[in-house]
Amino acid sequence: MEPPRPGPPRLTATGLTLSRGGRRLLDAVDFRVDAREVVCVEGPSGCGKSTLLRVLATLLEADAGEVFLDGVAAHALPPRLFRRRVAYVPQQAPMLDGTVADNVATGPRLRGERLAPASVAQRLLQVGLDAAFADRRARELSGGERQRVALARALANEPEILLLDEPTAALDARAAEVVLERVRALCREGLGVVVVSHEPAHAIALGALRRAMREGRLGPAEEARA
Amino acid sequence: MSYVEVPLARLSLVALLVAVAVAVSFRARLDLERSILWASARGVAQLLAVGYALRLLFAHEHVASLAAALTAMLLVAAWTASRRVEHAPAALFLPALAAIGAGGLIALVPVFALVIVPTPWYSGRYVIPIAGMMLSNAMNVVALTFERIFASARSEAPVIEQLLALGASPEQALHAQVRSALRAAMTPTLNGLLTVGLVALPGMMTGQIVSGIDPGSAVRYQLVVLFQLAAVAATSGWVAATLSRRMLFTARAQLRPDGAPPPGER
Repeated sequence: MEPPRPGPPRLTATGLTLSRGGRRLLDAVDFRVDAREVVCVEGPSGCGKSTLLRVLATLLEADAGEVFLDGVAAHALPPRLFRRRVAYVPQQAPMLDGTVADNVATGPRLRGERLAPASVAQRLLQVGLDAAFADRRARELSGGERQRVALARALANEPEILLLDEPTAALDARAAEVVLERVRALCREGLGVVVVSHEPAHAIALGALRRAMREGRLGPAEEARA
Repeated sequence: MSYVEVPLARLSLVALLVAVAVAVSFRARLDLERSILWASARGVAQLLAVGYALRLLFAHEHVASLAAALTAMLLVAAWTASRRVEHAPAALFLPALAAIGAGGLIALVPVFALVIVPTPWYSGRYVIPIAGMMLSNAMNVVALTFERIFASARSEAPVIEQLLALGASPEQALHAQVRSALRAAMTPTLNGLLTVGLVALPGMMTGQIVSGIDPGSAVRYQLVVLFQLAAVAATSGWVAATLSRRMLFTARAQLRPDGAPPPGER
């Protein structure tokens, strides 16, 4: 049963097909996520779900098919503009040199803007990190802290769509709950969120529309096993 | 001042020095005897050939013969710099040619037009040795720049891609890698400037002093050459880095899959 779809469709894709090394990673995938909606893509590792996310982020070019943002083909938009509006947080997102504050301020800095310390602190609080983290060396953080800094870093660009690859994989149960709650709140605030996860319980906790990926094909998820 | 010629009979004595190297290799089981002999034989053949070629060139000074010599040097330098570079996303010969050529032009044209002005201007005696030093330095800088940028683009692909995802241009995303590659490529040239005269007299100066030129004059030439080398290193490295970046990214600001690990299906 499909939940209601409020607002206009935001990020869509049609006919995404991609092969690498003789393997079909994406096979005619149609995709859609609206504002205020969480779509969870589930599936075994190697099924193509991370590849789908990278194609949706325009970091990887599909052999065929197209990604649309608000109905405009991604090819027709400058890549930097598209990526500012569609944020992508990979699994085990790498930290950049410098402090946590430097990391969080990266997106604005790349546009020649400065993110005020108060804004940095606010972004950190949004992902459940104390403002004192701002001065820590980002590469010395634990896996769970890194994952949350990566989320704060993505949010500093004020995106409309958020693509998250296994956002809770490196987190303990409590930290995972913080991130999931944060994703729910962002969704209420108007973001469209795509989560790649192998954990059906998280999709259910997020109230997500669940899709299952299998050998490059996207279909409805099986019955909940949680 | 007299100039001490080296007669062929005495020259053959230095072959004994090669024998020393071979003996050391044999004794220490370096397994380099064949390589030493082959390299020495090649060195003899190449230098003899160059000696005759230069003699011919200087005897019949002509723009065309100078241009042919410079072109041959440039082609060999580009071919050498583009070989054995791992993880290159595309053929490197033409980019190497452009980078080495650009460095050579920047360093050679103004100097022969304004500083060392031989008559005629296409005098091989001046142009060939100095151009040789420039092209050889450019060759090393370009090979090092390619090698380091492609290797680090591969090993740091997740960081580069994360920057792209945050809205970086390819130039911004690859900035750290380009910076460290260029710094590394320029270091030998800068070290050369810093230690010149303290550790060794540079080749050009050595040659002039041995052939009886006043050290004061030799120093002037050497300064010209050192500053030329700095310009060559910077220009050729920068052009090589810019062309590397074009090879690494698609028109849509994506890191090319063959320059990076395969799409991470985790």
